[in-house]
Amino acid sequence: MRFVAKRLLLFIAALVGLSILVFLALRVLPGDVAAVMAGTNATAARIAALRTQMGLDRPLPVQYVDWLGGLLHGDLGISAISGRSVVSQVGARAAVTFPLIVLSLAIALLIGLPLGCAAVITRNRRWRGLFHVLAIVGGAIPALWSGLLLILLFSHGSGLLGLFPSQGFPNDGWKDCGRAMASLVLPALATGITAGAGIMRYTRAALGDAAQSQAVSMAMACGMTRRQALLRVGLRLSMPQLVSVIGLTFAQMITGVMVVENLFALPGLGSMLITDVGNRDLIAVQSELFLLAAFFLLLGLAVDMAHHALDPRLNTASDDVQEVL
Amino acid sequence: MSAARVVMRSMWRKASGKYALIVLGLWVLVSLISLVWTPYALLETDGFHAWASPTAAHPLGTDGVGADVLSWLMAGSRTNLAIASLTVVVAGIFGLALVAAMVSRHTALRSTSVVVVDALISIPTVLIALMLSVPFGASTAVIVAACGFAYGLNLARIVRPAAILAARSQYVESAVWSGASGSRVFVRHIMPNVMPVLLVQLSMSAGTSILAEAGLTYLGVGVGVGVPSWGHSLATSVRFISIYPLTVLWPGLIVTMTVIALHLFGDALRDAIDPLTNPELREAA
Repeated sequence: MRFVAKRLLLFIAALVGLSILVFLALRVLPGDVAAVMAGTNATAARIAALRTQMGLDRPLPVQYVDWLGGLLHGDLGISAISGRSVVSQVGARAAVTFPLIVLSLAIALLIGLPLGCAAVITRNRRWRGLFHVLAIVGGAIPALWSGLLLILLFSHGSGLLGLFPSQGFPNDGWKDCGRAMASLVLPALATGITAGAGIMRYTRAALGDAAQSQAVSMAMACGMTRRQALLRVGLRLSMPQLVSVIGLTFAQMITGVMVVENLFALPGLGSMLITDVGNRDLIAVQSELFLLAAFFLLLGLAVDMAHHALDPRLNTASDDVQEVL
Repeated sequence: MSAARVVMRSMWRKASGKYALIVLGLWVLVSLISLVWTPYALLETDGFHAWASPTAAHPLGTDGVGADVLSWLMAGSRTNLAIASLTVVVAGIFGLALVAAMVSRHTALRSTSVVVVDALISIPTVLIALMLSVPFGASTAVIVAACGFAYGLNLARIVRPAAILAARSQYVESAVWSGASGSRVFVRHIMPNVMPVLLVQLSMSAGTSILAEAGLTYLGVGVGVGVPSWGHSLATSVRFISIYPLTVLWPGLIVTMTVIALHLFGDALRDAIDPLTNPELREAA
């Protein structure tokens, strides 16, 4: 319980720190937000008017508290370019990005977990070598490149096999589920392969450690075959470790996801953020950056909690470590 | 024979180590050559031969404005070399400082550093880069800062178990009792123990920074406009992928081969510098 309380407190502290950081990055550092947004040819009067309109002429602490109060009420401000509220924009975009991330993660797990287990289970040296090569080569391919190769191979129109669409997302969103899904397959594969190679490496390392443990020897002494012992006992032993690695993979996958969203012209959160940064729509950027970062902090919190729930040793062991040191 | 030569020889003996040393050696060599000579000047364009296939004059062909692809890739290798080495330095220093805090004798410092790492580690590199790029604009420094920060956190988390194991050992205890200062204990007794894990992780960070550069440059928050880099070469050829697929092949291939080499280099170096796994090193010492 003490761990949970401590971790929650820290999450809130990190959230506050993050909001201050994002806020300051856009205010105090070089470049006046209003001047940047008004453009290079704007008159001084126009800039001043814009500054008053956006409330930028008030003292910084007032602006910060105002923004934070808005966040707590779910009001993230109005985009200066499109005039739509940031909340509705983020909601519409998330409906593309989240299915994409979940699909990528599913592909990564389907590739990484079985191959990682197989790499430990097999006794054949050739197979081991092959798995080693797969893990290293798979993890070294940039998402941009694998996305391009997938387009060349499988896309409608330009590809060798016209299996999947490679550009855009249906305008009516998820009403036609099949079409929406089909347009996510290639982008998800592009990010899933790289992440899958990472998960494969970690699975191999974790299960390899578990294979040396006394629990696995004991299971084999009780009559399980090596494969049974590894899959039933070893895998359960390495599960807490794998859960935290998979959570972090999920977080780091966002870089690849942003790249493939641009490459495949998907209207997702990543391409929105890049467009807004490019347009200097700084009010929108501020809320979007904070929202995304907050989501990943929350993810980290969830992963840590899951890790502790899965591994009862941590609750007692962590106190021992503190005393010894 | 000096220890460094023994290490190099043991790495060279294995096929994976040989591949890593050759590729990384070529990388450094090409970067150095590109400082004084490239087949064509970077801004020299030949509009009549845009998107040319590989010929004797342009071994890897030309891009959309008729610039030589090989020259841009050669010049790009020095940008990527700078990014990778600076990232390793920043991540190494930041990560080691965090590890030192994690095993220090001050309880408050120890527990705060652990929870701070846990809390921040889930923030993706690309978000940090975006946050920095708004005030500072796209630049190499932004990539290095974002990657160094994110990989330093990662490093601290991965190195921590080995550091704690060393901190609880009897030789550290006896060093503390004989009056060694905290910094001396860390440098003399804890650092050598975490070195194998640290080196593997750092060389993987170098590889990941190359992948990050490619992604960030494509997204417009990487190296500045007109700066040659592998990500730049990859990103400029993307738009015409369906018409000229060949130009996108080279930068992708180079990035993949280099990242593979960095991964293998870390593994080979770990095996070669650890006296426990390398008997020759024991004899040399």
